Amino acid sequence: MNNAVKTANKPAPVKKKAAPVKKKSSRASLDARKARSGWLFLLPFILGLFFIYGPVILDSIKFSFGAVKTLPGGGFQYDFVGFANYNEALTVDVYFVQTLTQGIKDLIFDIPAIVIFSLFMAVLLNQKMLGRAAFRAIFFIPVILCTGLIDEIDSTNALTQYMSDNTSSINTGAGTDTVNAVVSMTDIQWMFDSMKVGTELTQYVVNIMNNIYDIINRSGVQMLIFLAGLQSISPAIYESCNIDGASAWEAFWKITIPMVSPMILVNAIYTVIDALTSATNPVMSYISGVYTGNGGRELSSAMAWMYFLIVIGIIGIVTAALSAFIFYQRRD
Amino acid sequence: MDNVKNSIPVAPKVTKETKNKIKVDFERTSLWKRLKLKYLSMNFVTGTVWKIARFLLLLGISYVILMPFFTKISSSFMSAQDFGDVTVKLVPRYPTLDTYIAVIKDNNYFGALFNTVLLSLMCAFIQTFISSIIGYGFAKFKFKGNKILFAIVILTMIVPHKTLQFSMFMRFTYFDLLGMFNALGFIPMPTINMTNTFFPLALLSLTGLGFKNGLYIFMMRQYFKGVPDELEESAYLDGYGPFKTFFKIIIPLSVPMLITIFLFSFSWQWTDNFYTKLFFPSVNTTLMPSIVTMPNSLDITLAPSMFQAAVSNAAAMLIITPLIIIYLFCQRYMVEGIERSGITG
Repeated sequence: MNNAVKTANKPAPVKKKAAPVKKKSSRASLDARKARSGWLFLLPFILGLFFIYGPVILDSIKFSFGAVKTLPGGGFQYDFVGFANYNEALTVDVYFVQTLTQGIKDLIFDIPAIVIFSLFMAVLLNQKMLGRAAFRAIFFIPVILCTGLIDEIDSTNALTQYMSDNTSSINTGAGTDTVNAVVSMTDIQWMFDSMKVGTELTQYVVNIMNNIYDIINRSGVQMLIFLAGLQSISPAIYESCNIDGASAWEAFWKITIPMVSPMILVNAIYTVIDALTSATNPVMSYISGVYTGNGGRELSSAMAWMYFLIVIGIIGIVTAALSAFIFYQRRD
Repeated sequence: MDNVKNSIPVAPKVTKETKNKIKVDFERTSLWKRLKLKYLSMNFVTGTVWKIARFLLLLGISYVILMPFFTKISSSFMSAQDFGDVTVKLVPRYPTLDTYIAVIKDNNYFGALFNTVLLSLMCAFIQTFISSIIGYGFAKFKFKGNKILFAIVILTMIVPHKTLQFSMFMRFTYFDLLGMFNALGFIPMPTINMTNTFFPLALLSLTGLGFKNGLYIFMMRQYFKGVPDELEESAYLDGYGPFKTFFKIIIPLSVPMLITIFLFSFSWQWTDNFYTKLFFPSVNTTLMPSIVTMPNSLDITLAPSMFQAAVSNAAAMLIITPLIIIYLFCQRYMVEGIERSGITG
């Protein structure tokens, strides 16, 4: 729309005439022509969608409702069995429901921890200080290195656990026992004693402290998204706020939080997706354990689809809950 | 600050010497007074305390991030005596290179390195190119179905790979172009087995469905949205078509962003163990995941579980060393990439 108006308004009449002459074959409007080239740009994805991704999704749903036998002469035979796989996952398999509920509980508790931690770190890393570039580089290491294969190696590493066994000597920073020597339940209890908070919150904080390595590892991208968001806030707003006599604390709550609130939503959703698709996720590793088992391929498809639907539900709830608090700055 | 203002007794006197030169006479506050005002104020003390606390906090968290790498490095050099010794923790008493030599020789590290470099380079090139094309299509062209297609791109990010692994495997094991008919079981047609070749990953990359491709498309789209439309309009006026504009003007303009995407795609493909395990089930094609096994030449009778860990640590070090080298030189592109993409919307 905008483009069409702009080109029509150009003051050079010669050029305006020349353009349609060149494209004799297509007398379509500019919008239509742009739409056509847009489709051309998206062609690879559309082809992939129709020939690979769509069928794969359909297959996956279909396999979760059936049983597949590999035939000796190449090819395979498919039998429809209805909800049998789902039934088996929910009623026969003793561990699945347990793992699923535990996994979802962990996920719900991890979202605020990761979002708050990454926001805090982003605010710190956004300030001018000694060695900022070095700290940024270090904080970004997990995004590149602690993925996939390395993650898997780390999770089954007996030696790091052995090294962190003896609390009297060193901490490796990799096991769950790590920070126990530094921060224990009693320390936190003492800290929260004067504030009137329940033991649940204390327990939650202790859990976060003990899983700090895990949380740092998983908040790399979120930190970057927050950093980008913080840098897009105009310094003039802080300046005027300063002149009006606001402290840094007030400026944080009244300016920073509303301005990055869209990023809080983005990061909450990203955290859910990241946890969902990571290989170390307990539900996912349980499902892949089932996948390699006897006749477990269809069963694992069924389990994965159930898990996926639940997580989509969680994303919906998170979005709905956060949307109420989001402040969108008008950019026009 | 107010104190400083108050301490200046008279206003500076400005005299004009020549046409372009002025002279300012003012009574300068003594150095001692200035230092006192600067360093003996509450403002300075709280500022310094905050700076030190912040530095210590960041240092501590950096330690938590880097420590596993130190333990990995140290344990990969440990020998059998070190495993038996309880007092040995972080620094091996009898350092040895045996683990590395065994992993490199027995597990064919260089074969795996060669194959992985080839695979990662191929995927990274194709994915960068394709996601920039698709991202450009989404960013700059308005047409019906644009939004729905973009929602599907986001969906490809959300759907876990595990959900699709079986059907993905079946699709590429029994591959034919109109695979839908065959998969539905109507017509048994001859199929091509594509496992243990680079084709499945190449095809997925070519169609923008590869590992984390949805994220790359999203980043490219956000980036291209920030490129001013006037550039393309002037190119159109000069008689360029959309594709010529894209390749001659937009691509040269966005080289730093393309490098970012390339590095992401290269390093994530490098450590990926999902697609590589899925599409390369045979042991003949050695890739990085296959070197994390026990080498035969090591004598592991003394402490098998410790040795297992040491070997996987050594393998992990061998796997990430090339990535660390790349990261050291290119981290600027990676850290700034997301900021540049304006992913914040």
